[in-house]
Amino acid sequence: MLQCIFLISDSGEVMLEKQLTGHRVDRSICAWFWDQYISQGDSFKALPVIASPTHYLFQIVRDGITFLACSQVEMPPLMAIEFLCRVADVLSEYLGGLNEDLIKDNFIIVYELLDEMIDNGFPLTTEPSILKEMIAPPNLVSKMLSVVTGNASNVSDTLPSGAGSCVPWRPTDPKYSSNEVYVDLVEEMDAIVNRDGELVKCEIYGEVQMNSQLTGFPDLTLSFANPSILEDMRFHPCVRYRPWESHQVLSFVPPDGEFKLMSYRVKKLKNTPVYVKPQITSDSGTCRISVLVGIRSDPGKTIESITLSFQLPHCVSSADLSSNHGTVTILSNKTCTWTIGRIPKDKTPCLSGTLALEPGLERLHVFPTFKLGFKIMGIALSGLRIEKLDLQTIPPRLYKGFRAQTRAGEFDVRL
Amino acid sequence: MFNKFGSTSETLSKASAGLLRIGTDAHLYDDPEDVNIAPLLDSKFESEKCEALKRLLALIAQGFDVSNFFPQVVKNVASQSSEVKKLVYLYLLQYAEKRPNEALLSINYFQKDLGDPNPLVRAWALRTMAGIRLHVIAPLALAAVSKCARDPAVYVRRCAANALPKLHDLRLEEHASAIEELVGILLNDHSPGVVGAAAAAFTSICPNNFKLIGKNYKKLCQILPDVEEWGQILLIGTLLRYVVARHGLVRESLMLSIHGTNSNGFCEKDGLGRDLTLDKEDGGKSDSFDVNLVSLVSKCYIQGPDEYLSRSSCTDTVSSAFDTKETTSIAHNEDVKILLQCTSPLLWSNNSAVVLAAAGVQWIMAPLEDVKKIVKPLLFLLRSSSASKYVVLCNILVFAKAVPSLFAPHFENFFICSSDAYQVKAYKLEMLSLIATTSSIASILREFEDYIKDPDRRFAADTVAAIGLCAKRLMTIPTTCLDGLLALVRQESFAGDFESADGEAGVLVQAVMSIQTMIERDPLRHEKVLIQLFRSLDSIKVAAARATIIWMVGVYCSLGHIIPRMLTTITKYLAWSFKSEASETKLQILNTIAKVLISAEAGDFHMLKRIVVYVFELGEYDLSYDIRDRTRFLKKLLSCKLASHEPAEDSVASQENIAAHVVEHVFGRKLKSVSPITLHNRFYLPGSLSQIVLHAAPGYEPLPKPCSFVYEEQDQLSDLDKQREAAADLDGSEESSETGDENGSSDYDSESSNGSDFSSEGDERTVSNDANDPAAPLIQISETSVSADQEELRSRRALDLWLDDQPSTSNQTPSALNSNQSSYAKISIGDVGSRVKPKSYSLVDPGNGSGLKVDYAFLSEVSNVSPLHVCVEVLFENSSAEPILEVNLEDEESMKVADSSEQTLVGKANASYNNIPTLIPMEEISCLEPHQSTKRLIQVRFHHHLLPMRLTLHYNEKKVPVKLRPDLGYLVKPFSMSIEEFLATESRLPGMFEYSRRCTFDDHVKDSRTENGKDKFLSICESITLKVLSNSNLHLVSVDLPVANSLEDATGLRLRFSSKILSSEIPLLITITVEGKCTEVLNLTVKINCEETVFGLNLLNRIANFMVEPSSSAT
Repeated sequence: MLQCIFLISDSGEVMLEKQLTGHRVDRSICAWFWDQYISQGDSFKALPVIASPTHYLFQIVRDGITFLACSQVEMPPLMAIEFLCRVADVLSEYLGGLNEDLIKDNFIIVYELLDEMIDNGFPLTTEPSILKEMIAPPNLVSKMLSVVTGNASNVSDTLPSGAGSCVPWRPTDPKYSSNEVYVDLVEEMDAIVNRDGELVKCEIYGEVQMNSQLTGFPDLTLSFANPSILEDMRFHPCVRYRPWESHQVLSFVPPDGEFKLMSYRVKKLKNTPVYVKPQITSDSGTCRISVLVGIRSDPGKTIESITLSFQLPHCVSSADLSSNHGTVTILSNKTCTWTIGRIPKDKTPCLSGTLALEPGLERLHVFPTFKLGFKIMGIALSGLRIEKLDLQTIPPRLYKGFRAQTRAGEFDVRL
Repeated sequence: MFNKFGSTSETLSKASAGLLRIGTDAHLYDDPEDVNIAPLLDSKFESEKCEALKRLLALIAQGFDVSNFFPQVVKNVASQSSEVKKLVYLYLLQYAEKRPNEALLSINYFQKDLGDPNPLVRAWALRTMAGIRLHVIAPLALAAVSKCARDPAVYVRRCAANALPKLHDLRLEEHASAIEELVGILLNDHSPGVVGAAAAAFTSICPNNFKLIGKNYKKLCQILPDVEEWGQILLIGTLLRYVVARHGLVRESLMLSIHGTNSNGFCEKDGLGRDLTLDKEDGGKSDSFDVNLVSLVSKCYIQGPDEYLSRSSCTDTVSSAFDTKETTSIAHNEDVKILLQCTSPLLWSNNSAVVLAAAGVQWIMAPLEDVKKIVKPLLFLLRSSSASKYVVLCNILVFAKAVPSLFAPHFENFFICSSDAYQVKAYKLEMLSLIATTSSIASILREFEDYIKDPDRRFAADTVAAIGLCAKRLMTIPTTCLDGLLALVRQESFAGDFESADGEAGVLVQAVMSIQTMIERDPLRHEKVLIQLFRSLDSIKVAAARATIIWMVGVYCSLGHIIPRMLTTITKYLAWSFKSEASETKLQILNTIAKVLISAEAGDFHMLKRIVVYVFELGEYDLSYDIRDRTRFLKKLLSCKLASHEPAEDSVASQENIAAHVVEHVFGRKLKSVSPITLHNRFYLPGSLSQIVLHAAPGYEPLPKPCSFVYEEQDQLSDLDKQREAAADLDGSEESSETGDENGSSDYDSESSNGSDFSSEGDERTVSNDANDPAAPLIQISETSVSADQEELRSRRALDLWLDDQPSTSNQTPSALNSNQSSYAKISIGDVGSRVKPKSYSLVDPGNGSGLKVDYAFLSEVSNVSPLHVCVEVLFENSSAEPILEVNLEDEESMKVADSSEQTLVGKANASYNNIPTLIPMEEISCLEPHQSTKRLIQVRFHHHLLPMRLTLHYNEKKVPVKLRPDLGYLVKPFSMSIEEFLATESRLPGMFEYSRRCTFDDHVKDSRTENGKDKFLSICESITLKVLSNSNLHLVSVDLPVANSLEDATGLRLRFSSKILSSEIPLLITITVEGKCTEVLNLTVKINCEETVFGLNLLNRIANFMVEPSSSAT
């Protein structure tokens, strides 16, 4: 089981340590960890399981903060990693983001949360809605209160009613004057376009996100019009497996507030809404690059915030890029970002320019990969449709809302 | 320009952050010590205390040691504010182990909190108390945990389950069985949340105590989907281990598929089998390789790789290792079926660790054709966070190595995204090269082509290596692939001129190596490729790549027609460039020219010889001693060749020349293809840490040996379980009901402790001892039979009567008990006293003591010296043939004192420390004739109720150190009290001062067999009393008879004993309640009420232990 959790800032400072068992872990392990990082570089940071001389380390990196957990004995590594991810999720939800200052400013809350989330190295309460009842998230009111009175406890002194019930994700009896339930289909499109311009892989990763504000103990069923297109899925613990197995219906008692009901994958899509056509020619030390971006198949809704970013190869010494639409920025680490926004009706956005190669190099032999970003509101590109959402007992003043959106996930266009 | 902008944005964000920091604890973190913390801690305002504690936590967070505030912080544990309490607990857990004495101060508050009506307060107190890690309070914590294990609130019970590993961690030998018992109770809990935590406790405390699982295996399976995710992970593993230990592996499963193919060939019939055979057609020997690997994997799962590898010399026995007896079939085995059923929906879990654990079960246990269903969920995990992606890929790789066909259709999932981390990319490449088939290789190679142009050159080099691997696996890999690689070599060698980056060199080296692996298969066909490579030698500048090509010159020097003709030119070139080469290449050149010379044809021989001589001369004066050595070695070896003039002539001469023979052997041999099974083959259970780090992490356990656990079905028990399940189902259906929590967890018996953990001490023996125990009370029971619901009333009345009639010894017929008429039953079991046989222990064995045998037994007499002393009767027996002289026992310490010259001084010091001597010595035995035995009485004062006393035995002028072990049962003295006093005292000692344990008792079974005529209740009472009084010094207060109508049911029988602790005169009450049928093994609940909790708990354990020991009469 986990013995200790460290939170390390992006400069290598140990911001917080929480010992979990009697076998205390000395901070020096963090020094070792940081030394290794310095000597081995980024690929070390990407290594989630590390066997150090004294401990096994599990790490995840979120927004520059490294969550480092130590263990000396065999344990499922995914359990540690999932738990750290959960901690990071909860913290960023509580603090409204994650960075060094936020953690230092709210270190008491971080301690209290960690203490509630893990007991003796084994996760205890990780359900966010229950945690929120035990430890109040910092908000403006409590901040003001603490400024004025100098005292505001954020620790609840009663046990959340849900913690012990058979639906541990739900407080026993929330009350709302108006009952609302929102279902969002949030989809991400992962695609790979190879150097021949061929669509090698195109699939949708989607989530059904819900926001439920329902009185009492509602029992919901959600059904899809075309569940057969779903390739794989994963469910929130509240979803009952039986009804899904038998007739592909989601039956569940929802947690209170926002949560992710399920995630799914739809594979083998034939088309992408946006095309990217890069071209590059290199000759005698300079390259001419031109990239065209346009709409391939109109989804029926506007495609927003289109961006294209790529990393210039090391051998490029300077770049002169311009576009007929949107803005182009090149950062010092040679990351180039072209922000297009919406595609104008009258012209096709085009990025063009020249890259100067390092002296002595005739032609470019390594090519960057373009990462495309876009967002389409109001449509789920997978074609998944929600048929209906039923409540077993219909509360008064019920409002049901449905939305959908698609954005680019890992959308790679190789040059 | 960009930097400038960056700095302004940074300051901006800082400014906005500063604004946001108002009202947070920021200032406390930044300057925790800007005020004096100590006075704040003593403040009477909660807010100031709170601030002080926050400052301390800030210091802890920053790695400072603030344990010096401990005493002040501990005081605040009594605070009513939940926040202060929480902060104090956080602080306490950090430092309690460092400051044990001060930590003890807090115990009373925890005990108080444990009785709090608020479950959160109880849970916090329990968590902190168990986490404090002091041996002194371990018994208290254990008592608290066992109390909380029956708490009505689920949350508290969960915390109790979490607390068990904390206690286990302290390595308390004497409590081990009690802890395991609690694990069993909690595993049986009807709330899924508790079961999850209990599963975690089980894995860390007693992962191989399958009895606990066996009892409620089905229930655990049913509850599994409702258990919270973290518990699921561990529970899945536990259930898998149980099934393997109980039933062995499944015959139809992948793990044993090798038998399937060998024996009845069913593998051919099902779908996957066909896949495998398909694979065979296009993949050559890949199929057989798989089967070997699968059997290797399954062996590793069972035995652990280290164990397996150590005996891998006898690999031919691999396949026959699994006995058919140790396997099971899914068709006939209900347990396996349930396990597979209950884990398969978990493949949809949101938690990737759960998915992987469930997939592991299916992988090991599911029939071949069902294993397929783990593929998609596993692939879906690749879309989760990059950290879990890495771990999942590691595991998928193992699956794919064993059965590539599983993942072959899903190759697109392993295409590489630019955002993947380097390690993930490397694993994906390995995966792609593993699962490539003839149908997919085209698209995979097209992807590879893209990857080669990636800016990350390390990744590009890996890609080139992966192409080589693909070529190795698939015979029919297109020759275009080779051309592509050659083009790459040309291009890289060109680019290499301008770039000194390691990455480029890596790509080139890998490209040459990949070409080499491809050529290796069919060198003759690729003659042209070789020639091209040799020609490009001049343009390739990377030493490692050059060395590889030069090596190839040596190996293929006699291949085909063209190459032999090129040899002189190549060797000339090599000799010419020798001076400017890197040492790696130089060594290779030396080897190659040696090979070339050996296989040289007559025409070239003289020319080559001259070149070789030239190179050797260069080599002998090289700067590197490696090269000088190698040159000299080769020169010596080849001396015969160099001396001769004709290659043919030489080969005749070599018959006599050993050196030439060696040369032929070293350089003349053809290449042998390396068998792929020599890949690194360490496999660990899927989802384990060891599989990721590729060594057995501490605590890693392979699957248990198949069928190593034999589970005896107990009809009675399983009936009981069924009832409970029914009850649990009922509870589950009324969703919000939380009633009946209590009985669900509390009335499970302690099956696990049945005799298994109580080892009787080896040297215990019982000597018949006729000395009557004077304290053995005369027992009289009066009974009025009344209706069952008036139990309490009845026993009171009976006791009243008993008190009135105390002196009477009249004995009425016990048959009155079963009649329904109201009548008194006055039963005397006064004769028990005569049958009490104090247990005797051996102090000196005749073997050690040269014929002198010394036994001792504790007496129930109260010492006349001081209340702290215990009377011990020592029996000396001379079993030798010669008399033993001057036998005496003395205190070891006083002996030392007597020896030293400072006797008086130390004596005084001793006296001032404690003027009661530890040993009242016995009368010396001047002479012990052969076969004579003598008893002596000594009185001992034990320093601690658990620690033995060191004594010295003198005889025949020898000294032998011996240890006198205290018997807890005799460190108390009978304390006569009435039943009213007893009940009053009992009511004053509730909560923490009350603790109970369950045990079994079966002495009466033998008794009732021998004495058929006697009343059953009476005989049970007698045997229990006898057992208790033979092992401890107590006063029997009262006996309550059961109220059940059935004569057979002894449930409700209750005996009360009272005593006082010798050292502290604190009263100690013992209540023994009986459950079960008269003629069967009874379940006893032993309860102790005592203020001295540590002593009480230890005595409780002692009683529970001796109750289950076989009766002395039987031995």
